[in-house]
Amino acid sequence: MTTWRLLNYRPNNAFENMAIDEAIFRETIKNKKTPTLRFFGWRPAAVSIGYFQELKKEINFNRCRLTGVDIVRRMTGGKAVYHHDEITYSLTAGNSEKLFPDDIVRTYEIISLCLARGLSLLGINAHLAKPVIPRKEPATTSCCFSVPSGNELLVAGKKICGSAQTRTHGCFLQHGSLLMTFNPVETAALILSSQAPEPSEKLRQSITAVNEVLPSPVSEETLCAVLQKGFIDELSIHLSEEPLTPAEKVLSGQLVKKYESDAWNWDRKNEVFKEV
Amino acid sequence: MKVFPEDLLYSREHIWVRVDGDMATLGITDYAQESLGEILSIEFPDTDTYVERDEAFGSIESTKAVVDLIASVSGTIASVNEDINDDIGIINSDPHDTGWLIVIEMDDMEQLDDLLDAAGYHDFIMQQEAE
Repeated sequence: MTTWRLLNYRPNNAFENMAIDEAIFRETIKNKKTPTLRFFGWRPAAVSIGYFQELKKEINFNRCRLTGVDIVRRMTGGKAVYHHDEITYSLTAGNSEKLFPDDIVRTYEIISLCLARGLSLLGINAHLAKPVIPRKEPATTSCCFSVPSGNELLVAGKKICGSAQTRTHGCFLQHGSLLMTFNPVETAALILSSQAPEPSEKLRQSITAVNEVLPSPVSEETLCAVLQKGFIDELSIHLSEEPLTPAEKVLSGQLVKKYESDAWNWDRKNEVFKEV
Repeated sequence: MKVFPEDLLYSREHIWVRVDGDMATLGITDYAQESLGEILSIEFPDTDTYVERDEAFGSIESTKAVVDLIASVSGTIASVNEDINDDIGIINSDPHDTGWLIVIEMDDMEQLDDLLDAAGYHDFIMQQEAE
């Protein structure tokens, strides 16, 4: 039975979260490590934007600053996400892992099946979204959750988990957000969508959250536990809880500077990368 | 139906190479564009930048993922395909011709020996899909 490393739930700030994911990704590439499954939260709340997005076009910077919401650019693609009350998972693995073929869509599908299996333990019936051609609706397309793509998770037609993936040098990193609760008004206020008369209502109709579909709310720890079980049962793996390696700690400490920097977040310039 | 033009060389990172003297034109393969889905954005290096073989020379975003573009040969970027800025869809619609990405002035032609021909790349894809 294959053993993966587990980094169990822990809240960090946005810059630490992205730095840790990148450090794990780099070390996995460098040392051909076994997969790492990580769960984390965001304290304080933050908005993340996709690698190619333009911050000033996507985010209400002044509102973020006034409400203490951090802004960070991800190394993965996709659209902006408001991280408030959620569990984020990240999975880093090499293509040499037999469980994951060198195929973007199939990887999404396998991970989605694990998440759905975990959610089913709470009685949530999540299923994979069929690939869709995004409609041209500029009012809500800034937000990652507003348009389900293929192989992401829906509950009763609403998206409950949005994921993004990056690949290089034979490894992939996929991370995604499972909302505990959803605040469409604040999401619409932070992620620019001013062209719609009722942007928050559109988001409300297309997005749901774990504690909105359950009769009584669950904690982050409970959700993480069932998600872990979902991976174990779906893939017949063993999870071993271990800390970051010393190399990953040093690297993530350096990478925090990148993710805090205006050069990266505003201009996608990776000045720190050259030093690491 | 994936296309594997016979006149190209291929890397295991799904980049094709067309050689003309010491100039190598690079693009993503038909297999890669099909796997990525609709391509949304691309990040190119500046011309005159030196790139090392097996290192990223840029990245590409599709509806499914961000993927590094890995150089198949070392050398200096002689030109980038500016037409992509006007219509990025040509990478999906015509990956082996008008959707080319960069031209590298190679400084070590022997690196070409490590690339696959069309039949070898086809076999590589089949092997990957079988795993």
